[in-house]
Amino acid sequence: MSNLIRQAFADTMLEVGQKDDNLVVLIGDISHFILQPFAKKCPERFYNIGICEQTIVNMAAGLSKVGFYPVVHTISPFIIERALEQIKVDFGYQKLGVNLVTVGSAFDYSMLGCTHHCYDDFALLKNIQGMEIIYPGSPIEFNLLFKQRYNNGLPTYFRLPAVTHDVIFKKEQIKFGKGIIVKVGKNLTIIALGPQLKTAMSSVAPLKDTGIDAEIIYLPTIKPLDEKLILKSLAKTKKCLVIEEHGKYGGVNDDILRLIADTPGMNVRCGSINIGDKFIHEYGSYEDHCRGLGFTPKNIVKKVKSSL
Amino acid sequence: MDKNKNLRLRIAEIIYKSGEGHIPSAYSLVEILSVLYGEFLKFQSKRPDWPGRDYFILSKGHGCAALYVILEQYGFITKKDLRGKGQPGSILGGHPDASRIPGVEASTGSLGHGIVTAMGIALGLKIKRKQNRVVVLIGDGESNEGTVWETALVAANLKLGNFLVIVDENGSTARVLPVPEMDKKWASFGWEVYNVDGHSEKNIGKILSKLKFKLNGKPKVIIAHTIKGKGVSFIEGDSAWHSRVPNGEEMENIRKELL
Repeated sequence: MSNLIRQAFADTMLEVGQKDDNLVVLIGDISHFILQPFAKKCPERFYNIGICEQTIVNMAAGLSKVGFYPVVHTISPFIIERALEQIKVDFGYQKLGVNLVTVGSAFDYSMLGCTHHCYDDFALLKNIQGMEIIYPGSPIEFNLLFKQRYNNGLPTYFRLPAVTHDVIFKKEQIKFGKGIIVKVGKNLTIIALGPQLKTAMSSVAPLKDTGIDAEIIYLPTIKPLDEKLILKSLAKTKKCLVIEEHGKYGGVNDDILRLIADTPGMNVRCGSINIGDKFIHEYGSYEDHCRGLGFTPKNIVKKVKSSL
Repeated sequence: MDKNKNLRLRIAEIIYKSGEGHIPSAYSLVEILSVLYGEFLKFQSKRPDWPGRDYFILSKGHGCAALYVILEQYGFITKKDLRGKGQPGSILGGHPDASRIPGVEASTGSLGHGIVTAMGIALGLKIKRKQNRVVVLIGDGESNEGTVWETALVAANLKLGNFLVIVDENGSTARVLPVPEMDKKWASFGWEVYNVDGHSEKNIGKILSKLKFKLNGKPKVIIAHTIKGKGVSFIEGDSAWHSRVPNGEEMENIRKELL
């Protein structure tokens, strides 16, 4: 399992923390070692608080009140699911800024089971007014998007995947709130998130063999959604497939269905590949889970042919 | 008229008028808040965000009626605000709302939040090497919440000597999930602990005046032993009154006892 994006997180804390005295990092006893360069340069602004996630999240609100830009870092389910009420009340309602930077979203901790999985995070957070959701699938995306948003006074969630998508973007393509057309196509729009961009790109050739010229859209920002870019593509292709490591409900697929329903004149056939309405009971590698859940180029072709 | 009797009467009146509120939980706080605002906290009511202020958070937000009458007394809010409590357009509801009420630092109501926010403020002030003090008032019922004890652990570990917790130990939780030997519990977490009669302004003031607030030191806790519903005989200690709104006759009886 690659840790490139987590390393980018540590490097970015060092980079930003040395320039901005208001950056404070609170962790729940993970990533302690890779954050040591930041901890050594900024010892008064690095706290390994302990294993008490609601408290870590909530105390960041106090730091925010006195002018800091807090970063809270631990594993996704323990921040997003366990401390959801703190995120809602202490940041959302009170309009205080925080950067929630997690690892272990979806099924990245593939061998650790349900307690360490988190694939309802988009659904839970999207309803919090002012919340920003960023899903960087490469190190440079985290670095640039963090620097664009960390001090804006809003709660921002950075969902760091363990696996990169390995597509290289130009710096100027990576802008908060903007999607990226990775490949132009004609008769199908695939909207891919996080590491699933790689799967989507691998499906381009087999789709071509069946006469489908897929347009690939990648969304490093989940909220706000780049509606303009998506609608423009769908108006052209009339078919949409969303690939996301999220449960069936409340993910980006739901946002796109609503967008289409709310846009007069849009007639688009839609499908999605997601984790579904279930807990994952299997163990294995990240790739094993991807195969088991249908995050494969073969399943993309099958889904397109059968449903779209 | 005794000033605290007057505060209690005003608390009952705004709850009676708005049809919502927690009289007993507010009554146990009256003397504590009187001393804090009258003798201890630094603030500028016409400039609630004055950078030199001490920070105060009422973590047991359901006792807010007591805070509201104090905020009015010191000029943060107006008599008109008090009269409108709970009405459309009012800034005052059943829990303190930092987004609407001048002088309220955190929106509380969900127990176990305000104390943690206060700890974050204390840490922030310590990082900035500022001398402002941070005070939070929690309830003994609130002390059932795990975050209270996470805070006890973390604040001691971070040596937040600029942080004071006051526990309104009004026996609220005694019938449900008692928290016995509160003082020993806090002491075991490494806090400087004081016990006081929470209805004696003199004794509360005496303890507050001797506290030493340092950026690096033990956090402090005052266990204020209080009576839920203190001041009105038929409300004192009667759990049925927790969130009960008096009817006209009961309001008249409250008035008779306090006038």
